[in-house]
Amino acid sequence: MITEEKRQELLDRLRNSVIQYDEDGAKEASNEVIELGMDANDAIFNGMVSGMEEVGRLFEAQEYFVPELLMSADALYAGLDILKPHVKQMDLGVKGSVVIGTVEGDVHDIGKNIVKMMFDVAGFTVYDLGRDVPLDKFVEEQLKTDSDLVCLSAMMTTTMVGMKKVIDDLKAKNPNVKIMIGGAPVSSDIAGKWGADGYAKDANNALKDAINMVSSLKKMKEEAEARKKG
Amino acid sequence: MVETRTMTPKERVLKLFAGEKVDRPPCFSGMGNATTEGLGRLGYKFAALHADAKMMAGVAASTYKLTGFECGVVPFDLCVEAEALGCEINVYAHLDDNILYPTIKKKIIHNEDEMGISIPPDFTRRGRIPLVKEAIELVKADIGNDVAVGTYVLGPFTLAGQIMELNDLLKLSFKKPEKVGNLLDTLADAIVLCAREFEEAGADYITVREMGATSDVLSPRVFKNLILPYLKKIFGQLRTNTVLHICGKTNDIAPFMVESGASAISVDQKNDAAETKKKIGNALLFGNYDPYNVLVAGSETNVRQAIRKCMDDGVDAVWPGCDIWPTVPIENIKAMMDEVINYRRPVSN
Repeated sequence: MITEEKRQELLDRLRNSVIQYDEDGAKEASNEVIELGMDANDAIFNGMVSGMEEVGRLFEAQEYFVPELLMSADALYAGLDILKPHVKQMDLGVKGSVVIGTVEGDVHDIGKNIVKMMFDVAGFTVYDLGRDVPLDKFVEEQLKTDSDLVCLSAMMTTTMVGMKKVIDDLKAKNPNVKIMIGGAPVSSDIAGKWGADGYAKDANNALKDAINMVSSLKKMKEEAEARKKG
Repeated sequence: MVETRTMTPKERVLKLFAGEKVDRPPCFSGMGNATTEGLGRLGYKFAALHADAKMMAGVAASTYKLTGFECGVVPFDLCVEAEALGCEINVYAHLDDNILYPTIKKKIIHNEDEMGISIPPDFTRRGRIPLVKEAIELVKADIGNDVAVGTYVLGPFTLAGQIMELNDLLKLSFKKPEKVGNLLDTLADAIVLCAREFEEAGADYITVREMGATSDVLSPRVFKNLILPYLKKIFGQLRTNTVLHICGKTNDIAPFMVESGASAISVDQKNDAAETKKKIGNALLFGNYDPYNVLVAGSETNVRQAIRKCMDDGVDAVWPGCDIWPTVPIENIKAMMDEVINYRRPVSN
């Protein structure tokens, strides 16, 4: 067991390495966490994720911009790579699986990758289709993996319109699947109009929304099971 | 209501650029405005336009002919310069009905060490630069007496994002700004070479699209220190009328955009145009209705409201925030034209 003082010190170092986009610092602190037998979950959530939350705040306050966000994400992944094999059980109350990708015609994947990172951290199983993904592929992959959630990203107005077709096709094949859309041109209005279940205003909100949607989905399934049994 | 013509749309645009008085703001664009209506009447597929000067020109002129929209603009994609520099593009020819804009399939810079590129000696004869040049000439010959004919090039940072991974470019702009600066310097030269060709073909105005440098992505400080110098380099060398377009958040960088030396600046619906107009004084501001949510997906009432807002905010030209998505209802463009022609600005002071 490590002392509370040492634990705090490591959490601070992890948190600051993410905020200051210091990959080496994240690696060093993560290795120390493992060597000292500190709980990896604790290190991820109370160290690095807490740092990423601060990065999100700085981004919102326009003190940080996308380059800083990307560098912070690199630091987070550098630590996560070391800590993840030692995580005993990811428990955010819900375990979901998600298909994620940028729609065909759009080669921008930065936003998608940040949202993906949040899912990775939260212990979701992520099927990342990448960018410029043919629309049918989303439907195919969802059916193949029976994922709870499909996340569509578009960075440009000119590619956003493809999302509507994917939403329609997904809902036709599987009315229970939850769909979240995001990206610069997307709004909650459009999400509502096109029948998406969620709108990813930013990565933090995307994760919160996803957890809510997957929870409600699980609850629905459990209730259905219970009815069957009853 | 039909307008009593005091000047042709072309004269109006040219006078505006020249700083002379005009009877009303022109309603035009420096970005793509193909319509599926125009495509249908000509029997062309969107994916085929990009490689055929005649089709490109035909569709560019069709929007004016169908709606009175006051310009003719080619090309319809953002890959021309990148292709001439050696990138491979995807025009999504396999999609029959869906419209997608071409993208870069193969980049020429794969890591930091490959950033020291040089411009191919035959750059202006490569890729589709000659084809776009020809298309400009064809649009000029077709509707060039009535309306101003425009074209566009990318800004250096946006072009850099086409020829290398945007992820890497963004991080390097922070970690190794001098390396990125050198690349932008080379790309600025390439952009000038390309734009010169388009000037020679008779383009009445050229829009430099630098959307990669929006404040949604980069801080105003990075914009000013790293990107503005190369935009200045470009505008300093162009002879025709120029517009600098950046979408997304632009309120904080609008004064820098003016400082770039462009004849006018263009912003999208995320910009508070009234505030910007105050900030930039006499400099020309083009904008800033939402080309998708309003012009394509909105009702005629939405369109008229949005156009009035642009005019009340004091834009010098009513102009979209981006390319107009082709499925735009022709009636909405007509309603927009009608509103621009008939809505009179309140007398100031």
